[in-house]
Amino acid sequence: MGLEEKDRIRAKLKEDETTVRLLLAHPMHTGHGKDEAGELIAAVFIQDIRCWRNDKQVLTIKCGAATARNPYFSFQLLGGQQGDKITIRWVDNIGAKGTVETIVI
Amino acid sequence: MTKNRLEQRRTVLKDMISASTLALVAASGLLLPQRLLAHWPMDAFNAKTVEDALMALLGHADVINDSMVKFKVASPPSYAVNGASVPIEIRSTLKGIERIAVLVEKNPNPLAMSLDFTTAVSLPFKSMIKINEDSLVIAVISAGGKLYKTSRMVEVDIGGCS
Repeated sequence: MGLEEKDRIRAKLKEDETTVRLLLAHPMHTGHGKDEAGELIAAVFIQDIRCWRNDKQVLTIKCGAATARNPYFSFQLLGGQQGDKITIRWVDNIGAKGTVETIVI
Repeated sequence: MTKNRLEQRRTVLKDMISASTLALVAASGLLLPQRLLAHWPMDAFNAKTVEDALMALLGHADVINDSMVKFKVASPPSYAVNGASVPIEIRSTLKGIERIAVLVEKNPNPLAMSLDFTTAVSLPFKSMIKINEDSLVIAVISAGGKLYKTSRMVEVDIGGCS
């Protein structure tokens, strides 16, 4: 029984900077790996991650297959205040999508 | 009269050729992914060398090695047991950062990720990447039309691109 597989996000304000930490649940197959039967696993990886703060887009991350499994990101947003809404949307190369949001604490 | 007709024939032939090539390209599906994912710089991510990736992503590859861009000490580490998830942390004192690219020189496709910054975002940026074999890890920052980079040699025990 591991942790439940889901996207996680934390945003914390400290001295005029908001630190956003993001963990997405995604296998990130490169297309080079093989499964137990020796068959190549098709490439499935997140391509585009966007971050909004209160309906204003602040960051776009484009990923290749070389981003690690269950991608982790941490970045700083200048300013902001407690109660800001941080929204992340991601989409992978086969069109699967996810949204995760949090309130800055 | 004959000349006129010949010219007509020529243009008709030309049109036919270009039309059929277009149809072929469309049918082979080459156009399709790019149209669907116009926002994802496919050329850059599919490039096989660092230079090609930078050219496709940023338009030029004149990179200055600059101490204003730095990796955190031990992130990436100079030796990683498992190349499937190697932590990286990029720091910089540069102002007006427009874009950051993270590349792994010896990976099949060197470009690992590309970040489009707005003025609201700042460094440090942390993430995890895959490294296939002992290789240079390169961070390139685009600010004010110039490219600045830093790099670190990372040795891995188990390749990460599977």
